[in-house]
Amino acid sequence: MTKEAPVISCKNVWKIFGDNPEAYLKKMPAGHTFDDIRADGYIAGVKDVSIEVARGEMLVIMGLSGSGKSTLVRCFSRLHDITGGTIEVEGQDVMALSEKELIDLRRNKMGMVFQSFGLLPHRTVLDNVAFPLEMRGQDRHTRRERALEVIKLVGLEGREDYFPRELSGGQQQRVGIARSLAIEPDIWFLDEPFSALDPLIRREMQDEFLRLQEMLGKTIVFITHDFDEALRLADRIAIMKDGAVEQCDTPDQIVMNPATEYVRKFTEDIDKARVVHASILAEADAKGEGEPVAAAATIHDLAGALIADARDYIPVQDGDAIIGALSRQKALKVLVGAN
Amino acid sequence: MKKLGTALATGVLALAPLSAIAADSSDPIVIPIHNWSSQIVMSNVVGQIFEEMGNSVEYVTTDSQAVYESVRLGDVTLELEVWEGAFGASFRAALEKGGIVDVGDHNAVTREDWWYPMWTKDACPGLPSWEALNDCAELFATAETGSKGRYLDGPVDWLKHGKERVEALGMDFEVINAGSAAALWAEIGAAEADKRPIVVFNWTPNFAEAVWPGEFVEFPVWVDGCDKDPAVGPNPTALYDCGNPADGYLKKAAWDGMEAKWPDAYGVLEKISFTNPQIAEMARLVDVDELEPDEAAAEWLEANEDVWKAWLN
Amino acid sequence: MAVLSTNSVPGEPKQYSSTQVGTWLALIALIMTGLQYAGMLPALLHRLPENWIPPFAIWLDAAFNFIRTDLGLQKLTRWFAEGPLQFMLDTTANLLYGKKRWPRFEQIPWSAIAASAAVLGYYLGGWRLAALAGGTFVWTALIGQWKDAMETMSVLVVAAPMAFIIGIGLGIAAWKYVWVDRAIKPILSILQTLPFFTYLLPAVIFFKVGPTAGAVATIIYAIPPMILMTTLGLKKVSPEVVEAGKMSGSTRWQMLRHVYIPAARTEILVGVNQVIMLCLAMVVLTAFIGMPGLGAKLLAMMGSFKLGRSFEIGVTIVLLAVTLDRLSKAWVVKLPEHHEKGTPWWKRHIYLLVGLAAFVFFTVLGQFVEWFAEIGRRQSFSQGKEIDTAIKSFLAFDIVKGTTEQIRYVLNVWVLNPFRDFLLSIPTFGFILFVVAGALALGGKRSGIYAAIFFGLVALTGWWDRSVITLYSVISAVTLAMIIGLPVGVFASRSEAWSRRVLLICDTAQTFPSFIYLIPAIMLFGITATSVVMSILIFAMVPLVRYTIEGLRNVPPEMTEAADMSGATKMQKLWSVQLPLALPTMAVGFNQAIMFAFFMVIIAAFIGTQDLGQELQKTLAGTDLGKNFVLGICVSLMALTFDMAIMTWAEGKKRMLGL
Repeated sequence: MTKEAPVISCKNVWKIFGDNPEAYLKKMPAGHTFDDIRADGYIAGVKDVSIEVARGEMLVIMGLSGSGKSTLVRCFSRLHDITGGTIEVEGQDVMALSEKELIDLRRNKMGMVFQSFGLLPHRTVLDNVAFPLEMRGQDRHTRRERALEVIKLVGLEGREDYFPRELSGGQQQRVGIARSLAIEPDIWFLDEPFSALDPLIRREMQDEFLRLQEMLGKTIVFITHDFDEALRLADRIAIMKDGAVEQCDTPDQIVMNPATEYVRKFTEDIDKARVVHASILAEADAKGEGEPVAAAATIHDLAGALIADARDYIPVQDGDAIIGALSRQKALKVLVGAN
Repeated sequence: MKKLGTALATGVLALAPLSAIAADSSDPIVIPIHNWSSQIVMSNVVGQIFEEMGNSVEYVTTDSQAVYESVRLGDVTLELEVWEGAFGASFRAALEKGGIVDVGDHNAVTREDWWYPMWTKDACPGLPSWEALNDCAELFATAETGSKGRYLDGPVDWLKHGKERVEALGMDFEVINAGSAAALWAEIGAAEADKRPIVVFNWTPNFAEAVWPGEFVEFPVWVDGCDKDPAVGPNPTALYDCGNPADGYLKKAAWDGMEAKWPDAYGVLEKISFTNPQIAEMARLVDVDELEPDEAAAEWLEANEDVWKAWLN
Repeated sequence: MAVLSTNSVPGEPKQYSSTQVGTWLALIALIMTGLQYAGMLPALLHRLPENWIPPFAIWLDAAFNFIRTDLGLQKLTRWFAEGPLQFMLDTTANLLYGKKRWPRFEQIPWSAIAASAAVLGYYLGGWRLAALAGGTFVWTALIGQWKDAMETMSVLVVAAPMAFIIGIGLGIAAWKYVWVDRAIKPILSILQTLPFFTYLLPAVIFFKVGPTAGAVATIIYAIPPMILMTTLGLKKVSPEVVEAGKMSGSTRWQMLRHVYIPAARTEILVGVNQVIMLCLAMVVLTAFIGMPGLGAKLLAMMGSFKLGRSFEIGVTIVLLAVTLDRLSKAWVVKLPEHHEKGTPWWKRHIYLLVGLAAFVFFTVLGQFVEWFAEIGRRQSFSQGKEIDTAIKSFLAFDIVKGTTEQIRYVLNVWVLNPFRDFLLSIPTFGFILFVVAGALALGGKRSGIYAAIFFGLVALTGWWDRSVITLYSVISAVTLAMIIGLPVGVFASRSEAWSRRVLLICDTAQTFPSFIYLIPAIMLFGITATSVVMSILIFAMVPLVRYTIEGLRNVPPEMTEAADMSGATKMQKLWSVQLPLALPTMAVGFNQAIMFAFFMVIIAAFIGTQDLGQELQKTLAGTDLGKNFVLGICVSLMALTFDMAIMTWAEGKKRMLGL
């Protein structure tokens, strides 16, 4: 893997709400906890976060409501001005951008999808989707062409002239997605895009989203409070609590090696077999014999084989190479959900 | 060439003063309208006469006291009904400040004083003498005035000095001020239902005469100075111990720029003079026949062509 | 006293609660009053000595004169009045009733306007609204008031859009810049409580007597709700919509133009509705400063005791108001609809085309058939005289006479006059203390301090006695209004149908031009305090009834259901569940009742009073700007004191109940 510069890189980012937070942050003693800060009459929305998002990666930020995940993502796009630290997007310090540069960045590089859609109620589907293009000053015809294209992409053809209130929630969010894609952004922010939807629709939209992502390959920051959703979608997951990132890692690692008690609690009720891949259980120094299993397979995929197999150690193959062997015992433990 | 130019120039020069004299300004003449019928119709009559002459006319509704200030400033051009009793003071004050001119009197008299509708006389037969009225004071008592009679005066700001007169003549009356002319009419209207005796402030000419026949109370006759010199009048120590003048003037007034701006119209305004019957007739067209003022004016003009055509020449 | 101290303010953990301080103040006031009765109170504590009173009016006059002439403001305003404003008014006047100015068109036939209004009504709200809108204009024409109505409308169509533009501009500024908001808020509060006579005189002085001054007074009167609704709407725009706009790369201007304002559409349109209603109300009132039209006609009719015609004009005004109100409200809820693909152009704009066709048809018809263009007085269907007779004979019924005479006697002799004399007998200082104590008990410290400042100022103006008389009329009328209005509201709230009916009556009573009530009041109760109180009563009752109904009907159903399941009787449910929960809303109604009473008491000067209204009315005839303003401010300060205390109380109570 070549080391390319990250798309988003933030270092020691703070976002504090209250009167004159900059001054407060400067004189605040190190090691102040969230509750200490609150006792001083301030709220730490984002607390000393350092995180990087690589090109083409899907980072899921996950946490309960009030954990600061929405605030963090709004700092990336500078919907919020941060109180301390630095955020670089495509190598540019976003806090140093002039208003015009910031608008240019948003017009050309970023797209965002909102939890309750954020559609403009007075505009039709077409005009909502074309809105960012209109802001960019594109002419009516190009706008329309492009908007129709994205509307088709999200499967809303024929509804161009509808108003948002005439659509179901799922359809409205499709409009929101289409709008965020209209300008062909490099970076795509999704703020709990599916949490306002019914469970069935949510599932359908997740599939739809995965399909889109496969086609488009964007750099994505996805926010959710639903751990299942995070596991289903993420390349990496960042778990936040009280404004700070508790752990940022791949789903397997989070499930198998939770960094803190808080993270562990999250993973407790998870069907780990569906998350954990053979690769993560592969012990490099262990030797297995016979037919290897694929590194990318989940334990759940291997369930039948594991139960039928009699070997203690089964080799794991990634591509052509054997990367080690997994302990059947351990794998079965994962399968039955024992800790 | 040169000759022609000179000729043209002389021609223009010769014509210029002529046209200046002949044509009134094309700006509208602004005629104020107040809240009583005769004045409204009269204003419309005069307005239509001016329009006949080719002027443009505009009507604005204004307060009848504030109008003199507006005339002075030229916001409105003229005023057709300057009542001696009601507006004499405002008019004189405006005259002193300047900007307003007296354009002569109508051939009409005005009177404003204590007044009663005819049915009152049935209960108090000694009327219209003020002494008789005083003897009947109890007839005019209301729940609020106790045994004293009630006299309903005009609004305080009309400065009718009812209270002073009651004191000066030692009358057994309490003076209550109505808030508006409409309040006076409402009281008379309410009294009419059961023919209750009532004595109120009233004036002539106005529409009320046609609706409720009545008479003015005869107070000691007005003598000049009655309002300034205590010695004048029956009570040697008090002011306002006489009735109001029974033959007050009714004047016309105009902005002092009118003569220069609309000389023709001004000339006609000087000649205009309405009589009491004519004024009553105008009020009747609106108050009894329920015409709109402009229709009433048109009707009046049609019926009285001989009167106003004479003013045009 | 007991009343003052029962309402405690929650969450005031100080040594002395506001209520306690209030009780002390009230006690001192009581002692002072007692001393005054015993003749032992120094005169200067009873009434401020004349020579202590600063000549506010003279100072204000000097200030006005400085601004007016030295700073040349009058030149500017006069230029505006005679230039652009006059031009706009002339243009609309020309189109609507053919006043001979630019563009010198013939007047639009009434039938064309009626037809277009009906089409607009149909587009916005179906047949009912079409009938209302069309019917209103047909009525206006048939009753012979077309010209007057159009004179009124010609000013309205200039004033309302201007009030809208200024209001929305200021609203946006107040939303965007905190300092504008801070500067504007107190001005708005004063503007909303200032008696309208106080708008009129400066308007005349700065903008020339007649329609221009009327238009300006109307605009100023109508601006405040537009500002408030704009700010409210903009603040309410969902943050996600805002963020969506920002993420789409909108510049500030694009945000405002494409995101904020469209998203605040509903509130802004509600503001437009209020602007229209206030403009209509004020356009009628500006008859006092020479605005022609329905108001002037009404004044003239009242001035010549034509009850029937006055009533008809009142009906026209109500119809116009209801039509404009319903149309604009329908516009608020009207949401854009999409057309199916491939709808032809004419079908997309069917209403516009039909409206235009109707307009053209009747305009042309009007050229050939005079009746469709203009209906003169002679052809109209006015029933003025018949209504006159009906009203007069109604008033002549013995039973009516007897009852009113009785009410008049009891109220005047036993209640109102003694109450007035009692209020006047309280020493100024004691009176202020009473008010402060009340404000403290209701609205807490802040309200108390403001009450002290406001009433102190009123005392300093030297119009104390008249202010007390004004206040006495307000208190008497509101008390009576509560005695009558609350039971009516409670009763009406029991059924949906009755609520609707009673609210409709309220709406109608409120839109009737206020001074139309004066004549019947006088005819029933004479020129007495009772008439004044009665004419205020109608206005004060409307908000009381309305908010009582609203408050009671909006009690959450689960609470009344809980009461039912606990076996509460109707009365128990009313007293222990519904009324306590409805109380904050009812307090808002009570507050509005007081505000309306302050508004109406000034108009009641036309009956004959000795209060501030009478002095205000006098100033209208002159050029006493300073005095006019001082009097207006007295009314405003008293109203604001009540407003602040009651609203603080209602809001606190609402928060406590979690509503």
